Amino acid sequence: MGRKVSTAIDLDDLPDDQADLLGELLDEADFFELPADLTRPAMPDAFTYNITVSSDERQHSVRVSDATAPDDLRPLLEELSKQARMRR
Amino acid sequence: MPHRHSILCIIPPYMMHEIVKNGSPEQRDFALRSITISEQLRAHRRTALEVMSFMGARPVRAGKQRIVYDAKNGSKLPGAEVRQEGDDPVSDPAVNEAYDGSGITYDLFFDIYGRDSIDGNGLQLDSTVHYQKGYDNAFWNGQQMVYGDGDEDLPESERLFNRFTSALDVIGHELAHGVTSYEANLAYWDQPGALNESMSDVFGSLVKQYQRQQSASAADWIIGEGLFTANVNGVGIRSMKAPGTAYDDPVLGKDPQPAHMKDYVNTIEDNGGVHINSGIPNHAFYVTAVELGGFAWEKAGLIWYKTLTDKLGERSTFQDAANLTFEAAGELFGTGSLEQQAVRTGWSEVGIAAGAGNGENGGGDGCFTAVLRAVGLAK
Repeated sequence: MGRKVSTAIDLDDLPDDQADLLGELLDEADFFELPADLTRPAMPDAFTYNITVSSDERQHSVRVSDATAPDDLRPLLEELSKQARMRR
Repeated sequence: MPHRHSILCIIPPYMMHEIVKNGSPEQRDFALRSITISEQLRAHRRTALEVMSFMGARPVRAGKQRIVYDAKNGSKLPGAEVRQEGDDPVSDPAVNEAYDGSGITYDLFFDIYGRDSIDGNGLQLDSTVHYQKGYDNAFWNGQQMVYGDGDEDLPESERLFNRFTSALDVIGHELAHGVTSYEANLAYWDQPGALNESMSDVFGSLVKQYQRQQSASAADWIIGEGLFTANVNGVGIRSMKAPGTAYDDPVLGKDPQPAHMKDYVNTIEDNGGVHINSGIPNHAFYVTAVELGGFAWEKAGLIWYKTLTDKLGERSTFQDAANLTFEAAGELFGTGSLEQQAVRTGWSEVGIAAGAGNGENGGGDGCFTAVLRAVGLAK
């Protein structure tokens, strides 16, 4: 419906279990191999997620929406949304 | 099973589709033939409906076909079926709200504009509730409506959003996206996208006004009224009467909508600001409706509906919408009529001159389209 929510998460600042979970979800999604843009076709009012993951070795950004996200990516989106909600 | 003409038999379309999915080869063949025949008949009926509705006659409808599903806080769509057309209300208010809201939306489009469902051909209205957990949104995925529960999983003191089925105009808004996809199919970026959003706000608001039998002057013209909890400083997510004033909250921020072309927002976010710049055509509609008085769905809504279904195209801009609503008003009510003048006033209030021969009026294609062109994703 048009809202913008943003958050930044440093895994080093998270409890170990939450940091491990995010790491597992990134692996499950094969995040660093995903195309940069997964938002087409655009679906009205669906959330669009701009996710950038940075480490010492590499950085990758993916843009994806609720309507177009691959199944393997959905658990990561839900966990990131939950983390963003906790920080609002 | 003997072959029956589907218009005469009592098997409803959704049951035919189940047979296609789960039946034996013979059963599937029968169902597919029946579905094909009924779709051909609907196409013929639609042509008749269009002629009759513009002649003022009341067309015969195929009927509402609603199904509500429960995603049980997961992401898999559509989820478990929990209510279908004709069933009694259930104990889950979200299910009943989705069911009732899609019914009222159907009624507005059919009773007033002679349109049989989203596609004009009796398309089944599917809604999924309880999508994910803590999902503060609702959307149309190209085939169905999807609704989150807002913050119902949090303690009351932490909630910002109520469940998204609680706002009738949100339900109407999402269904109207479906209508737009079958008609003008306005591209979802920059000005065409903002028009797409505006059409959904227009008809979403009209659904609420129709249900309440409110005149244009009595309506609140707030989109998503009741969506916010008492913890939010705001009346809704958008205001068509006063874009930019719907909320100003320490957590959610301030309503970013402009009410005039001079404040058009050039951005790459939000598909080029489709939810932001929709404030401009929204306000044009509001002014037109209030100028005309009475019930907004009768004249202003009819002008906008005719424009959406007969005139707008995928890449129509705000200027196009101004010119075409002006043209539609002339065709419906006469050149120089009070209705046509009201349309001109509505667009003038937002800084756009409506009428034949008016060229592009600022705004241009916007940043988003420029970037898409640069990377070869748009022409």
